[in-house]
Amino acid sequence: MTMGTYRQQPGASKPEVRKDGKRVAGKQVFPPPGSGGSEPTMRPRDLDFIPETVGGKEPKPAGDHIHDRDRTGTVVGKSIPLVDSNAKVTGQAWYGDDVRLPGELIGKILRSPYHYARIKSIDTSRVEALPGVIAVSTGKDAPNRFGVLPVTKDEHAMAVEKVRHVGDLVACVAAVDESTAIEALSLFDIEWEEIEPVFDPKKGLEDHDEPIHWRGKYHLSRTNVQKRVFQEFGDRSLVDSPFAASHGAWTMSGVHHGFTEPHAVVAHWDPNGRLQLYTPQQVPHYTHRALSTVLDVPMHQINVVRTFVGGGFGGKSDPFPHEMCAAILARKAGKPVRITFDREEVYWINRGRHPSHIEVKMTADTDGRISSFDIDALIDGGGFASFGHVTSYYNGVLATAPYELGSFHYTGARVWTNKPASGAMRGHGAVNTRCAVEVGLDEMAESMDVDPIDLRLANLLPPHSRTISGFRITSNGMREALERVREGSEWDTKFRQLPLGKGIGIGCGFFISGSGLPIHWDPKNFPHATVHIQVDMDGGVTVHTGAADIGQGSTTAVAQVVSEVLALPIEMIHVRSHESDTSPVDLGSYSSRVTFMNANAAIRAAIGIRDQLLKAAWEMLGYHPNVLVLNDRRIYYKHDPAVGVSYLQALHKAQADTGALIARGAYRSPPMGGVHKGAAAGLAPAYSFSAYVAEVDVDVETGQVSCTNVWAAHDCGKALNPMAVKGQIIGSCHMGLGQVLSEKMVYGRTGHLQNANLLEYKIPSVHEMPHVEAIIVESSDPEGPFGAKEAGEGPLLPILPAVVNAVYDAIGVRLRDLPLTPDIVYAGIQKHLRKLRLEEPEQMQPPRLEHGPLQPLLVARGDLHRERDRLRQRSEDTSAYVNGVLFGFDPDRPLSEQHEGWREAYEPLPEQLAELGFAGRAWLKKEQRQIQREEEEQRQLDIDESEKPKIAVEHKTPPKDRKSKRGKSQKIRREL
Amino acid sequence: MVGDEHVTMVPVPPGKRWAATVNSQSVEVLAPSNAVLLDVLRDKVGTLGVKRGCDLGTCGCCTVMIDGVPKLSCLTLAGQVEGANILTVEGLSDGAHLAPIQTCFSTHGGSQCGFCTPGFLVASQALLNNNPEPTRQEIACAIEGNLCRCTGYQQIIDAIEAAAVIHRGEAALPAAASSPHADPHPSGPGEPTMPPGHAR
Ligand code: FES
Ligand code: FES
Repeated sequence: MTMGTYRQQPGASKPEVRKDGKRVAGKQVFPPPGSGGSEPTMRPRDLDFIPETVGGKEPKPAGDHIHDRDRTGTVVGKSIPLVDSNAKVTGQAWYGDDVRLPGELIGKILRSPYHYARIKSIDTSRVEALPGVIAVSTGKDAPNRFGVLPVTKDEHAMAVEKVRHVGDLVACVAAVDESTAIEALSLFDIEWEEIEPVFDPKKGLEDHDEPIHWRGKYHLSRTNVQKRVFQEFGDRSLVDSPFAASHGAWTMSGVHHGFTEPHAVVAHWDPNGRLQLYTPQQVPHYTHRALSTVLDVPMHQINVVRTFVGGGFGGKSDPFPHEMCAAILARKAGKPVRITFDREEVYWINRGRHPSHIEVKMTADTDGRISSFDIDALIDGGGFASFGHVTSYYNGVLATAPYELGSFHYTGARVWTNKPASGAMRGHGAVNTRCAVEVGLDEMAESMDVDPIDLRLANLLPPHSRTISGFRITSNGMREALERVREGSEWDTKFRQLPLGKGIGIGCGFFISGSGLPIHWDPKNFPHATVHIQVDMDGGVTVHTGAADIGQGSTTAVAQVVSEVLALPIEMIHVRSHESDTSPVDLGSYSSRVTFMNANAAIRAAIGIRDQLLKAAWEMLGYHPNVLVLNDRRIYYKHDPAVGVSYLQALHKAQADTGALIARGAYRSPPMGGVHKGAAAGLAPAYSFSAYVAEVDVDVETGQVSCTNVWAAHDCGKALNPMAVKGQIIGSCHMGLGQVLSEKMVYGRTGHLQNANLLEYKIPSVHEMPHVEAIIVESSDPEGPFGAKEAGEGPLLPILPAVVNAVYDAIGVRLRDLPLTPDIVYAGIQKHLRKLRLEEPEQMQPPRLEHGPLQPLLVARGDLHRERDRLRQRSEDTSAYVNGVLFGFDPDRPLSEQHEGWREAYEPLPEQLAELGFAGRAWLKKEQRQIQREEEEQRQLDIDESEKPKIAVEHKTPPKDRKSKRGKSQKIRREL
Repeated sequence: MVGDEHVTMVPVPPGKRWAATVNSQSVEVLAPSNAVLLDVLRDKVGTLGVKRGCDLGTCGCCTVMIDGVPKLSCLTLAGQVEGANILTVEGLSDGAHLAPIQTCFSTHGGSQCGFCTPGFLVASQALLNNNPEPTRQEIACAIEGNLCRCTGYQQIIDAIEAAAVIHRGEAALPAAASSPHADPHPSGPGEPTMPPGHAR
């Protein structure tokens, strides 16, 4: 019997029974409940959630999207609960410390009491003698280094030679219970030799007898500089005669992620000698790699199980030494070992936002164009590298959009200090400079007598353009975001018009949506993300992905897109993402990459399954897949829904020869960006944009600032799940508000962290939270899954500058020390009073704005650009656009024909060295290999030409060398 | 943290029988007489839904209801609540149906990473038991001791408001908004709607 005989004519769905007694395909009885087709009739398609471009009613102002055809109106765009929320609300979600294996031992870690000290000897005999102690381990058991970035592997499971900060791991024990383990910690006999510590990052730029790490020939003189960056783009001649300028030096405190779940890990070597490691991790794969290195065990003998993660925010995105410790102890003890941190230990491992000194200068020309951004960022990395290499770049490059710049100059340096290591935190690297830049713009707008929103609107990069540093911008909802917060907040009736003590401020931001370079492999050889889907006879869809759900809902996003493509209820989609044994390799949850990359891979995999189902339906119905419609567990003929097969029938037909349907999908970002040093930092397949307006109340007597209202517009491309996106926006506001108003890691005079607890490290409580009006802007990214981009990190950026600007609007005092705790604000007000010779704070005048002659010009340009942006967004205008067009740069002509100023440089010219900012001073130092080479050449010179005067090694490089440098640094950007 | 001198720890006192009603089950465990309620609940009773976020009374993750009053179990000695009626997050649902507050947390986005959720649920259930019509301000006061790093509280307050409406009988439980089918596999009367036992 061939199924093809079931063919029916369109519109003619009778008779129900054929002559030979067989049922007609369209009228078959649906399978019994529980099999994926329980309802006798399917629901009609939900046209409100099907794009208008494919016949539905969902508006698509941004135009077509390649995934529009894959929409079935099932779940995408609907606010649905996270798929794992039932586990969370019933208390069944299992976090790190909830994994209890039979016979477990409790592990504890001995931490360094010294900031910086050499371990001369460790005697563990008294520890081992304590009854109840099963295993003891010290640094010598695990000499291999690891680190999250392959270029900076500088961590050990436990200190091998020296400890680098108070709280650094020294040794660990596993005992039968917690009190025995704690007691054991006091029985270590250790001989220490203290070394002079460094706390001030500025001191880190100087030579030190004993740098915290030693990078061999790449080490920068004898300083504690881990990474220095120099970048210069555009036309620097524009800087010389500014029409308006702003200059600000900022001090930003370190902040911590403050996730509610302390780190915990359970390690167990199973009877086959395989390691099972349970850990709440954002990056299980990196942990997997690091474990393999440290333990000298091949990766396939390790199964990393990601438990539920009680908040990550970047704080659980490093392979951690305590994970190694648990594995080492479990191996020694032959039993499972559980290590759980207390809250204080969470601060010792840190990885929070870098304490930073940031200096921003900017200029604008007479047309109100932004002619330059000069940024100098000195960031305090603490004792280890972590993600710091990337952070050093991000502090600069993530300030190159959303504005069109005449020129951009960035110097950055990350230094090691004897403090807990800084690392990646939500808004990685971009937050602090973004704040400084946005406040600078506000100041510049003020000196030009224009509205800061209009200044921004007249200087935005359009969709489908390139930033000054070469990032490819695709969709761009910046303008819409700005306009919507302006309208929502009634900006025009409030800005510079509120009474003393009340203020309103604006801030913008943009952020990467996934990082273009998978740091452990060449993207040419291996994709960024892979997803496997399996559908067996029962019709349930199992999705295997390595994406780590840390509460942001990545599992839900993956389930949603699969559900959408296959038109199955989301309850039929089961995402398995916990174990490295079953999930394809995934880089993890950082750089806001998961929704973009994993959902894209999942869509591809789901399409693979769908095609197999449609092929089966084709064989059964005789209609080509092009005219078949997938809807709610049924596949039917487009023009006669009565003609069709149930999902399960098609599935069983498709399975006839092969068994379970399997499909896989992968995502790889397109080749992007240049080849220059650091070109990969900040490259992303898409960028999200956001604009916030914040309203604050400032108590001028006490300096207490409270934020009362926030209008937060975020361009996430397409909200797959609006409720989750709003949750991310509001949550980001919460975290950003903490950083700008109250959170601060306080290091005392002796360098000791003084507030390693949640009482003194002040995270906003429910009472400090303003009302947040979350506004979703959908610019439909051409490469995003159904148009989506990230929504997890970008929304954090604008809240800081919005609040700082609002405080200025309220009291007329610019403050550049974060957080704006009452003491800082009070001191600022008092200084202001002294300057104006006023007695009482009530006499202060809040700033006012008289629009200057530039204002109409900017408004006109903004209006002009709105139309330009619309056409580019809808791809009706597909001409090339690069940063600089506003300044007369022609994107279609080769750079050599343009005027001379446009350049691109990655090392300072010798004549620039004198005027570099703090971080830039790292460029005054030379790398060891250069010093050695120069010494060598010097010796040669001494021998060869002993009669000639000596060249001072400190100031001059040998002529040959210098020439090649200059050639390199003046390399003009060609691939524009 | 730890210096070089040896401090003998307080010797663990011998185990003592501890009895109480936890989630309407009477339990009896052996626990040291100085044990903290949080430890007893997590390690002895096995209600791992009670979370430990700080051990210092600063996060609220460990909130449980003791005789109807929400308390921080990390600051409560087990001995003090001997024989008391303790309700943890596991006791909110009846094993087959979620309590309205639980459903609302999941439908309103009140739970992201979910680590703070047990504490919030218990605190807000206690509020709803005493105050059927709380204002947003009253809700805020009820959860002021709970820290949430993910949600920014707004959706939590929305969830509690929605649950209050259901408690008052003014609205039905929201249908799970997740799919065009509220319930793709309708269960018979009395069949559990929530998978019993551990999700693990
Ligand atoms: S664990 Fe009890 S309040 Fe944090
Ligand atoms: S949901 Fe993560 S801390 Fe509240």
